[in-house]
Amino acid sequence: MLSKLIITAAFLGISATTAFAHSTLEVTEAHVGASYKAVIRVPHGCEGKPTLALRVQIPEGMIAAKPMPKPGWTLEKIKGAYAKSYDYFGTPMKEGVKEIVWKGGSLADDEYEEFVFRAFLTESLPVGKTLYVPLVQECPDGATERWIEVPAEGKSSDDLESPAPGIRLLEKKSGH
Amino acid sequence: MALVPRSFSRLARLMAIALCGLFLQAGVAFAHAALNSSEPADGTVADTAPSVYVLTFSEPVSPLHLKLIRPDGTVLPLERFELKDRTVAIAAPTDLGRGTHVLSWRVTSADGHPIGGSVVFSLGATSAAPPAMGDRIDWAVRAGILLSKLALYVGLFIGVGGVFSLCWLPCSTRPGRNIVAVALGTGFLGALAAVGFQGLDALGVPLTHFVEPAVWSTAMATSFGRTGMAALVAFGVAAMALSGKGRFARVSSLAALIVSSAALSLSGHASTAEPQWLMRPAVFLHVAAIGLWVGALAPLGMALRRGDPMALRALRRFSTFIPYVLVGLVGAGVVLTIVQVEKPQALLETAYGQVFMVKMALLVGLFLLAIANRWRLTEPVVAGGRTSAKHLVRSIAAETLVVFLIFGAVSCWRFTPPPRALPALAAQAASLHIHTDKAMVLIEVLPGRMGEVDVSINVLTGESEPLAAKEVTLILSKLDSGIEPFKRIAVRRGEADWGVDRMAIPLPGLWQLRVDILINDFEKVTLSDEISIGP
Repeated sequence: MLSKLIITAAFLGISATTAFAHSTLEVTEAHVGASYKAVIRVPHGCEGKPTLALRVQIPEGMIAAKPMPKPGWTLEKIKGAYAKSYDYFGTPMKEGVKEIVWKGGSLADDEYEEFVFRAFLTESLPVGKTLYVPLVQECPDGATERWIEVPAEGKSSDDLESPAPGIRLLEKKSGH
Repeated sequence: MALVPRSFSRLARLMAIALCGLFLQAGVAFAHAALNSSEPADGTVADTAPSVYVLTFSEPVSPLHLKLIRPDGTVLPLERFELKDRTVAIAAPTDLGRGTHVLSWRVTSADGHPIGGSVVFSLGATSAAPPAMGDRIDWAVRAGILLSKLALYVGLFIGVGGVFSLCWLPCSTRPGRNIVAVALGTGFLGALAAVGFQGLDALGVPLTHFVEPAVWSTAMATSFGRTGMAALVAFGVAAMALSGKGRFARVSSLAALIVSSAALSLSGHASTAEPQWLMRPAVFLHVAAIGLWVGALAPLGMALRRGDPMALRALRRFSTFIPYVLVGLVGAGVVLTIVQVEKPQALLETAYGQVFMVKMALLVGLFLLAIANRWRLTEPVVAGGRTSAKHLVRSIAAETLVVFLIFGAVSCWRFTPPPRALPALAAQAASLHIHTDKAMVLIEVLPGRMGEVDVSINVLTGESEPLAAKEVTLILSKLDSGIEPFKRIAVRRGEADWGVDRMAIPLPGLWQLRVDILINDFEKVTLSDEISIGP
């Protein structure tokens, strides 16, 4: 009896890792003061409609964002000023990519795709907290799927319908 | 290894697998299924009941519970369903009536996290709000209100009006004193009881609470409390006049008549109608005229019956002044009717109008009797005819009876809002104000009752400046009735004004309301509270 229960629990645990109904980030923990490779996983479209564009907002404190081009999709890098100047390996950075848009493609509702960008997590980010990276999927006829909800202080993303993917910020790695 | 039992090592391996599962799970965000589409679609009005409901989700799900909430609020569990890939096909009940139904679902997907939602659809038409007060009429309280009002009118008109006539009409023996005294007593008890019943009605509690102080204090806090107090004062003064003599009696009877007329202009839907400067004096005049007319009937009738030597003088005086009283009575009545009824067709279409028509029919009868009295009987009686006097007494008795019936009809108005007030009643909105640091919303549901409503949402920043939102979504749920949330996207009406038109609210009661404000593509503010929707 006990063994059956354990197996069930194990399966539940494993199945949860395989069903990605939300758009999420593959790596959910990262060190500040280091580069971060963001892999955005898009499991479905908007209420059955195909995804025509994916927009990512680069949160404050995440700088020097560089998207990875994707065949069949056009890239758009929307630049703007940061809230403050950040030190990027000794170079002060005051502006950069604030939003990345992959568009012009078509990802059917029953297909899976990954979108990649790389960015630097500055040391000004609060260690121990979660940095949220809001995403918007745009579909035909103005339909959207917005992964932008951020849990209130002390609450969990589990309770949200469309949570923004987050990165738990770890302390800066010491030495090289 | 031989020392460790086989079953234990197996258990340990299983534990390891389970732990792996848990660790893997911790690494990812929980994933919830979402409803992609439904048949019938949310918010539709269909002519025929569908034979099957189909819910299509973003991934395969298993239902935890599926239920249908019918227009009367009863919950019907839906137990026959079929799962196929990402759809749930539910066998629909066949015996559905007209009105708004809610298909409320709660499912779990691969992640084990339950999610819920509702599909609102109407058959034939959106549920209309049941007629005001619907099935919750407490007939005992209602009968009490009616009878106590009737008693109050008897006291005010036959009692106080009678005292006035006794004091001012020249009769040597003050005939009809007993009748008038009984009427005063009846009115006194009626006024007290009417206040109590008013309290019961205001609190919506049954007859058994009659003696509770809360009932009485509630009644006194309503405008009818003032009417009750004034009536009691009028009865007291009238009683003094009845036992007094000469000038004192005359003056106090006049005071009683004035106070009693004022009593009825202190409350009631005629007195509270606009314009107040016209309506309150009109009610006063109307009521005073009734007191003068009806009050004179008993003393005159009794005087004539007893062959009082002064009766003829009294009758002559009555005949002289009554036309002026009637002009005042009818004039004020016409004014009141015009304001209250507004449109002629309301006389037939509304309950208030129907009561008015009954009253009119009775009035026509009363006037015919009065005219007959005046033209056919009064002259011969004054000339000294004994048989005519008998006829006149009978006619006066008949008049009094009709007057009773009119009082009964008028008492019914207590339960029928006048046509003037009907649009206002229907147009009473339910409103809600939610304030947070980031945003503030003012929500108005019009009418604030179940059925088809228009919702307006005014979106402001935390500092009360207009907030230019990108999208506003209204989400309603009523968990105590088993209704999971359903969404409506609001339409922009102005810079900060949004609306949801012709939305169906299936049931009355307390609803959980949430407003999602999309400030820009990546930022959303959510506000929630509860709103009370009337029946």
